[in-house]
Amino acid sequence: MSNVPDLAGLRVLVVEDEMMVSMLIEDMLGDLGCTVVGPASRLDEAIALANASELDCAVLDVNLGGQPIFPLADILRARGAPFAFATGYGDAGLRDVDKGSLVLQKPFRETDLARILGELRAAAGV
Amino acid sequence: MHMVGARERGDETALVTIEDLSARLAMAENALAEESRRADLLNRIAAAIGAGSDLSEVVQTVVDGGVELTGAQFGAFFYNLVDADGESYTLYTLSGAPRSAFADFPMPRNTAVFAPTFSGAGLVRSDDITKDPRYGHNAPHHGMPTGHLPVRSYLAAPVVSGSGEVLGGLFFGHAQTGMFTPRLEPLLHGLSAQAAVAIDNVRLGEAARRDLQQRRRVEAALAESESRFRMIANTLPTLCWEADLEGRVTWRNQRWHDYVGVESYLPGAFWYDVDDAQARVEAQGRWREAQATGGPLELVLPLRGRDGVARPFLTRVEAARDAVTDEIVRWMGVNLDIAAETAAHERLQFALQAGRLGSWELDVETRDYTASDLCKANYGRRPDETFGFHDLVAAVHDEDRDRMRAAIEHAIATGADYDIEYRAIHPSGDVRWVHARGRVAEKADHGGVRRMAGVSLDITERKRAEERQRLLLNELNHRVKNTLATVQSIASQTLRSAADTRAFRDAFESRLLALSQTHNLLTDANWEAASLHAILVMELSPHAGGRQGGGGRFVLESDRDIRLNPKAAVALGMALHELATNAVKYGALSTPSGRVLVRSRVSGADLVLEWIEQGGPTVVRPSRRGFGGRLLEQGLAGELAGRVVLTYDPAGLSCRMQLPMRALEPTE
Repeated sequence: MSNVPDLAGLRVLVVEDEMMVSMLIEDMLGDLGCTVVGPASRLDEAIALANASELDCAVLDVNLGGQPIFPLADILRARGAPFAFATGYGDAGLRDVDKGSLVLQKPFRETDLARILGELRAAAGV
Repeated sequence: MHMVGARERGDETALVTIEDLSARLAMAENALAEESRRADLLNRIAAAIGAGSDLSEVVQTVVDGGVELTGAQFGAFFYNLVDADGESYTLYTLSGAPRSAFADFPMPRNTAVFAPTFSGAGLVRSDDITKDPRYGHNAPHHGMPTGHLPVRSYLAAPVVSGSGEVLGGLFFGHAQTGMFTPRLEPLLHGLSAQAAVAIDNVRLGEAARRDLQQRRRVEAALAESESRFRMIANTLPTLCWEADLEGRVTWRNQRWHDYVGVESYLPGAFWYDVDDAQARVEAQGRWREAQATGGPLELVLPLRGRDGVARPFLTRVEAARDAVTDEIVRWMGVNLDIAAETAAHERLQFALQAGRLGSWELDVETRDYTASDLCKANYGRRPDETFGFHDLVAAVHDEDRDRMRAAIEHAIATGADYDIEYRAIHPSGDVRWVHARGRVAEKADHGGVRRMAGVSLDITERKRAEERQRLLLNELNHRVKNTLATVQSIASQTLRSAADTRAFRDAFESRLLALSQTHNLLTDANWEAASLHAILVMELSPHAGGRQGGGGRFVLESDRDIRLNPKAAVALGMALHELATNAVKYGALSTPSGRVLVRSRVSGADLVLEWIEQGGPTVVRPSRRGFGGRLLEQGLAGELAGRVVLTYDPAGLSCRMQLPMRALEPTE
């Protein structure tokens, strides 16, 4: 685990509508020493949470029970908060504007999440 | 009269004395006899000329008569032929000398001596031509060539036709001087005039004869041409015929007889007399139009062959006109058997219809676009609506139009096949997918594409199916990936709470099986929904006997079943599995007397699902929240936006789930 970046205290917003996956990410983030913001499973809940909380970055499920996450992505981008998409679609389900974003392909390993979070943290300048 | 006579003859009768009366009388009688003889001769000549029809015969008579009349030793007639050099005289006939006498000499030329004759100026008479001032001036001979017939006395007269044309000249000669008296001059005038008339007559006659011959040749050629036409017509593989102005057939070629059979038609039948009454009426109508306009007519006529089969014949009828008056003299017709083409065309049409294929043609230069009814239908147009190339381009969806234009221009420029799918906007606003294909149908003279032909097909259904399939594949991929992530999560959490490998394996397999069974229920319903009751039965029935066996350990109270969307079904399935497993291991179902009451009811906008355990061992709150507790209170509540409360009542565990219906029901 020597090359795992130091992610302690990183505040990560988790938006994921599958409860099992959400719990998994929570566990992984806990293992990595991050602080979980959420998790949220619905868009309105997630936006409210994002607006009300201090956060460094976010891991976003692309599709929340048929509802796209993009409005939240736009808000985060406007705020300068870096984020990664976690999706089973690859980047096929993404908008053109989001094509360059970091993507976590489900299922992913804890090290994959750590690597992505390292990049997000670097982008966030935390 | 004497005075006149004496004066006239003064030069020649110088020796005659007034006293020599008898001599004078005898001379007068001689002269009279001579005049009479000459008059007779002239008459004979005239009669001979009049009777003659052969030019050489007439001219010979004239020259012979002239020699006799003038007392010349020889006479000749030369034709006046003006050639490119302006002079040429051809010996026509001779009298009093063999033709060989002139054979070695060139023809007389336009010399000073001959000029007055051949130009038609007048008569030349000389007692001695060699003394004539006009004689001997012309090179190279300067007079008669050596060896020429000896000529001293010379008399020549032009022969001039009624139209003023100089036909030639009559020439008479004598070896002695003074042989031709002035009295001969009027006679010679008369002779030459008669000769001219005779030659004119003969020429006219010959012209008439030539005309007649020409006409006979033309008639013969006509007959030859007619017979050749018949021969060709009879060997033609098409039926052809001639009809009179009313349309009655007057002649038919061999092929017609072979096909229809001689016995099958009546004399005087019209060309449009066919069995098919409707076709006959239609042909008759078209025939009336053609008669009125004189224009050609073309139609398809069913002709019954001697084998009894009626076949379609492309029939063309055209007027034959008089070359001079341009009036219609008869009508010519051709019937071409197009049964094979018609059958092929019908097969093609059937194939196009069956395949819902529209067909089209495009004239590359004029952009004249012809679309079949089906092709028009592919663009939402009725058969009677016009649909040109510009309409086609305009009908293509804005986003596809440039691509379509580029494809067709590329095909035109390179001769490559045209093969494209694009969206077409129907006038109704419907958007349909059209697959158009085409290729070069005709090359232009300059080598480029002259005409393109192709087909069009409405592929909207296929496109929708493809789109559905694409979405389905994406959805499947998404679902599989999410399921794998779920399994990963189950494994991870099971591992965190498992005491040992064996416990992990049992718990993991059991949870995996529960997930799989929920998936089965969803698959049965096309992954659209699963019934709450079905999930309850599925999860609870394996434990109905509890650990010690025996049914009836579960009591289900439900006001009604509800349909759950896939997410809710999976979540509730897993939650119920955890509750049941826990009850069997540690709760009410772990003792012989315990039981579980499951109550389900819809209250307002929520489903209230209660799990109440009774009769089991005394419940103690666990020191830390396990997988089941976390899943229920956090996972399920979070995912389904509801409230889940676990109560560790010492008399029995209970769980109350209040879940909003909108999070549970399928989004139809």
